Amino acid sequence: MTTKLIEVNSVSKRFGNVVALKDVSAAAGAGEVTCILGDNGAGKSTLIKILCGLYQADSGEYRVDGELMDFSSPRDALEMGIATVYQDLAMVPLMSVWRNFFLGSEMQKGAPPAKRIDVAKSKDTVVDELGKMGIIIRDPEQPVGTLSGGERQSVAIARAVYLGARVLILDEPTAALGVKQAGVVLRYVVEAKKRGLGVILITHNPHHAYPVGDHFVILRRGEVYGDYRKEDIPLEQLVQMMAGGADLETLQHELEKAAESTGDQELAEVASEYGEEATELAEETAEAKERDGDA
Amino acid sequence: MKGRIWVALVLALVLVVSACSSDDSDDTTTTAAGDTETTASDTETTAGGDSQVSQTGFDFDLIFHDKDASGTFWGVMKNGFDAACDAWGASCNMIGDPDITKQAALVDTSIANAVDGIVLTLPNADALRDSIQRAADAGIPVVTINSGSDVFATTAAIGHAGQDEFIAGQGAGARLAAEGATNILCPIHEANNAALQARCAGVEAGATGATVNQVQIDVANLDAAFETIKTEVSDESVDAVITLNPDVSIRARDAIAEAGSSAMLATFDLGEEVLNSIEAGTILFAVDQQQYLQGNLPVAMLALNIQSGLVVGGGLAVLTGPGFVDASNVAQVKDGVAAGTR
Amino acid sequence: MTVDAPAATDDRLVQAGLAKKVLTRPEFGSIIGAVAVFIFFSLATENFFSVDAMSAVLNPASTLGIMSVAVALLMIGGEFDLSSGALIGGLGMTMALLTANAGLPVWLAMILSLALAVGVGMFNGFMVIKTKLPSFIVTLGTFFIVQGAGLGFARLISGQTTIYLSDEFANVDFAKWLFASTPFAGIRIPVYFWIAITALATYLLLRTRYGNWIFSVGGNAESARAVGVPVNRVKIALFVNVSVSAWLVAMFNTFRFESAQIGTGVGSEFEFIIAAVIGGCLLTGGYGSAIGASIGALIFEMVRQGLAFARWEADWFKLFLGVMLLLAALLNAWVRSRAQRAMS
Repeated sequence: MTTKLIEVNSVSKRFGNVVALKDVSAAAGAGEVTCILGDNGAGKSTLIKILCGLYQADSGEYRVDGELMDFSSPRDALEMGIATVYQDLAMVPLMSVWRNFFLGSEMQKGAPPAKRIDVAKSKDTVVDELGKMGIIIRDPEQPVGTLSGGERQSVAIARAVYLGARVLILDEPTAALGVKQAGVVLRYVVEAKKRGLGVILITHNPHHAYPVGDHFVILRRGEVYGDYRKEDIPLEQLVQMMAGGADLETLQHELEKAAESTGDQELAEVASEYGEEATELAEETAEAKERDGDA
Repeated sequence: MKGRIWVALVLALVLVVSACSSDDSDDTTTTAAGDTETTASDTETTAGGDSQVSQTGFDFDLIFHDKDASGTFWGVMKNGFDAACDAWGASCNMIGDPDITKQAALVDTSIANAVDGIVLTLPNADALRDSIQRAADAGIPVVTINSGSDVFATTAAIGHAGQDEFIAGQGAGARLAAEGATNILCPIHEANNAALQARCAGVEAGATGATVNQVQIDVANLDAAFETIKTEVSDESVDAVITLNPDVSIRARDAIAEAGSSAMLATFDLGEEVLNSIEAGTILFAVDQQQYLQGNLPVAMLALNIQSGLVVGGGLAVLTGPGFVDASNVAQVKDGVAAGTR
Repeated sequence: MTVDAPAATDDRLVQAGLAKKVLTRPEFGSIIGAVAVFIFFSLATENFFSVDAMSAVLNPASTLGIMSVAVALLMIGGEFDLSSGALIGGLGMTMALLTANAGLPVWLAMILSLALAVGVGMFNGFMVIKTKLPSFIVTLGTFFIVQGAGLGFARLISGQTTIYLSDEFANVDFAKWLFASTPFAGIRIPVYFWIAITALATYLLLRTRYGNWIFSVGGNAESARAVGVPVNRVKIALFVNVSVSAWLVAMFNTFRFESAQIGTGVGSEFEFIIAAVIGGCLLTGGYGSAIGASIGALIFEMVRQGLAFARWEADWFKLFLGVMLLLAALLNAWVRSRAQRAMS
């Protein structure tokens, strides 16, 4: 087993009495996409903040290239080549595409005191790099706020790739996007993967995760609920695991109550269907867990 | 489409203003000081009118150290200014700013606007000396008013019309002492006015045997001033209050009443309410600097200087005050306040 | 995909590019506004269109402009400073107390008051960062502190609120020349400072990485922080820039009027903000221009002095000033929205 580019082993984190993460492990190697799935409240955002260096885990290990790491700030993680692209904090909307692209890492020319930004070269580079990722920007001077949500995320990813990231951590990149735009973003995730980056993709949408992911880690209430390679789990099962048996049971009870009060026969039938699904799911999950134990 | 509406609006505004201003602007060809030729050609003899006076067509600016010419004080000065301008057939403009740098800028503007004469309050003679010199160099005579009676002679101004604050203060202080005051409160309502400080200093000098305590208040916030004065007069040793502004005096009157104090109250400058209080006995007397004259006299001083090179005052200030208003003459003065001349 | 198609689109792009570039600059609207105001007063008065009038406008516009540029940079960085005007008066008073009352040599007083200015700027910056309160509130507090301290110390140490310095300044010809001379055509030396400062600020904003940082800090501070921009350092630097500009203006005033007065500059802080906004700065930060702020200052003074030139009733002064400023700002906004529509 090759050394993973980035891995966390058995990390836990609590805030006061609330346990946000308990014994969570995940890893991604070069050219691999690991998807961290889970509904809201599962602990994904805490995990991402530990990965990007904003938080420190209470216990467990954080390794990069197999070496133990202790990041005290996002800058430390950045210096190790771990780039995080946030859901809503990717860009400064009023600034142009090229200024956003080079923000914090501006291309300069000349010697102090006349050290200044190389505007022409920056613009050319932006058009080039985005073009390589398949994004055609006609005018790099246009404010990045005029781009669509998907294009903005893509620019952010292209920026991270250009600036030499070795690991990309993407926080819900498709959450606020429509179907077509989500597709655009996922395409760039694949591009990054092809270039040999390790990618950790955080999402609550299994349909987006499945096409691009090599590895899936499902979080529920701060713990790992399931951890599968792509070969080992079909999409439908992934979806069902995400939905979770307990939720189906709750749904069943609600529908039964509604059926009783309205005397709606069809509703009662639907409720019992959900009940059956919940039982099936529980069984499958148990089996899958056994299989994992063997494998 | 929207854009055209804006362009039309702006153009309309321009046309309206051009039409208005062309009525006001004077047609005189020369406005240099001391040029006596213009008077004969410009004036029309009116029935019983002095031919020098009626239609000079001069432009005069009065530049003072407050934001707008309202209120019991500046409004009366403006009335005097406007009345004199009417009488002399001059076109007049009263404009001001409490920030000395901005007041100086307004003087520069008047010079660039080639006015015929400038009337100028002098809260800071050093700051304005330069601008007055420039006006003089440009042939524009300057008469200072209101503040700076003791320093105007060091500037290029041709005269001063105002009240010597220290002298006025001495008079007021003497009267208070004569009434038995021993501990006088003097609230100063404008933080950067040397004239007000001179008043309190004069009161102290004139009130032999009494102590004078200054306290800082803000004329822009009279409610707070009320509270401050009320607190001060709650100290029973304070037996007299002399305020430097009519609006402040009314607040002081109410503060003294509410504090149950028996302190005497006198004030500088007049107002309708002040006179009512003098009648009612709640204010002992008021020092009238007769600011109407400060707006009125300089117009004549400037016009006569421009026409005939005459200079009023002999290097000393033309004193417009102090006049004292008390129960003995208040009725006559009341008529004047209602008419806007006092 | 034929070879011809790309060439055709390139031509169209080049033409659209130049027009777009000019129209969408934040200053463009304010330039139109300035020209409109100038034409208006030249037509409406007799003497506005003259060299003397120009100096009567440019001289006060220079100190307003220097402060507006500094305030604009701060606004682009997402913050306000309401203490800047009061600081001008306070620093002048500091100079006066140090020279007239403490007897220090003028050059030393200048250095000490500069240090005080830097201190106030850093105080503003630190307080805004530490308390995370809106800078509007924090600097309002500083405004009162500066005003009160100035008044208090002036009366405590000298017993006066206006201090005259012609004796102390008798032998500082170089300083008087540097800060208060009138080299040419009635145009005072601060105008040259103003032009230089505007040019420098524009260069900083558009051609250096610090400018990039300033835009990002105002546009989205968290995004900027996430990519490694030192957000706190940038903000503190911007506050210090405002207070040092206040020091410069205080030097201009002190050496010109050879006196110091409490109350100078108080109330001007809103004028700086207005000028910056007329010049294209967004109140919410992240967008604006130094040239625009200077043009805004120019418009402001053209209106203020222009009304005096027109000799309209002083009672209406405030009304007309407000209306003209609103018109200028509306024109600015209209031009900018047209330009942005042209872009898409």
